[in-house]
Amino acid sequence: MDGICLELTGQLGTSQPGEAEVERSLIRRAQRGDRAAFDALVRRYDQEVLRMALKIVRSSDEAQDLYQEVFLKVYRSIGQFRLESRFSTWLYRVVMNVCYDHLRRQRTRGEVQATENEDGQPDFAQTLTEDRPISNPDRALTAKEISGRLQAALTRLTPRERMVFELKHCQGLKLRAIGEMCGTSEEAAKNSLFRALQKLRVDLRDLA
Amino acid sequence: MNCKEFENASALYLYDELRGSERAEFEAHLAACAACRARLEESQRLHRLLTDCPRPEPTPDLLARCRQTLDEALDHEELGWRSLLRGWMWSFGAAPATRAAAALTLIVFGFGLGWTLRPRAAALPVAGGEPTQAGFNPSDLSNLHIRSISQVTPDPQSGGVRITLDAERRVTLEGSLDDPRIRQVLVDTMKGYDNPGIRRDTLDALRMQTDDPSVRGALMYAMARDPNAGVRLEALKTVQHMECGADTHQGLLNVVEHDSNAGVRAAAIDALVQHLQQEGMDDAVLAAFERLATSDRDPVVRMRCLTAVRRLQGNG
Ligand SMILES: [Zn+2]
Ligand SMILES: [Zn+2]
Repeated sequence: MDGICLELTGQLGTSQPGEAEVERSLIRRAQRGDRAAFDALVRRYDQEVLRMALKIVRSSDEAQDLYQEVFLKVYRSIGQFRLESRFSTWLYRVVMNVCYDHLRRQRTRGEVQATENEDGQPDFAQTLTEDRPISNPDRALTAKEISGRLQAALTRLTPRERMVFELKHCQGLKLRAIGEMCGTSEEAAKNSLFRALQKLRVDLRDLA
Repeated sequence: MNCKEFENASALYLYDELRGSERAEFEAHLAACAACRARLEESQRLHRLLTDCPRPEPTPDLLARCRQTLDEALDHEELGWRSLLRGWMWSFGAAPATRAAAALTLIVFGFGLGWTLRPRAAALPVAGGEPTQAGFNPSDLSNLHIRSISQVTPDPQSGGVRITLDAERRVTLEGSLDDPRIRQVLVDTMKGYDNPGIRRDTLDALRMQTDDPSVRGALMYAMARDPNAGVRLEALKTVQHMECGADTHQGLLNVVEHDSNAGVRAAAIDALVQHLQQEGMDDAVLAAFERLATSDRDPVVRMRCLTAVRRLQGNG
């Protein structure tokens, strides 16, 4: 895995001066096998990684698996990280690869994604603070229902469309960065985004 | 820009991905074309719907669970293997040690000078004192896919040690603890191997060589960082009884302050008290005890530090 250098919008981690030096020293120590330093690196980024994982997958169990896979990959390959690159970018790429593989595996297994967890509740709705109507009052759809519809629509995207959509819409990354991160061109990322939005528009037409 | 181009550009517009001239053209068309204004509004509604839709936030509970399972998984990681193998390659690249003590020990084992890598099942008889490299070839080792260490057996009588590995075939390395290459393997095992039982055995072997700086380093490392509290405790007991060095008190003090296990912390306090009673006062340690006696998060540690301060001051 190459540590390519991208300018990100700073969603992952911090980049105050001095901070960068602290981080570089943590990375150097982690590269020498210092577990405490590696743990400190994990603590810097793991909330954001988990947040991203939760956006890609349906359940907290799956997100937990992705979290673990990401940081084990980082642990195994941190020796190859080049210090002149940005760690957050590199980590982000690992996250993307892991999530992408996860979505692809799910697809190949032909899994119909469960829309409910074992309690019969849409899994994401558990994290909603209240069940408030947020859309057209005539339909009076609840946040929970909309969330369910959106999740269902998202599962109909291809893994790449899904990733590009999440990175663009939720992470706010530039298409150029997304292209590099997913190992394609800006143009390809743009097309994936168009296709994703087109599918979502069709699926959610009655809500918007 | 025509209406068709406008439609494609509207998503980019909403995501602020239009460049200067594209953006100007887009806005010009927007001002001029009512149909496209309506279409853009529709796109904006979808955009807002996708944005408004509540997103899951990790709960503290989920985050804690993630961290814990990762911690356990890392404990089982085989990173140790890479460093072990690296240390090995390095040591085989070096010229064989020919110190008298090493030779003596190896003769006790019945092998030639240097050390021997051989399949355990096919023990090779070695002719008299003749130095023999029983089938050993460093390139064999680099091609060897090692799966795990199955045994570390120190022999306190001879000062030798036998390390058995599961590779594609089982191999045994035998050599003296006086051999820096053997020590290197043990030090790497101590620091990186994932099986606490093996680390404990390795500790037993290293215990016989505490005057070697790399062995001391490995013991200090295990005391501070071994994931297994039992191994940390044994390493600590060894550190406690080896010759006191410049970093010994600070190392013990770090354990007192940072170890996650209350028993290990208590043992470190006791070890420091013993050192100070034998060697005389160490102001840094005393100051740390005084601070911990009032401010440590754990009441048991506070109490123990308080007792330690009283004993040490009564002593001095
Ligand atoms: Zn138009
Ligand atoms: Zn001492």
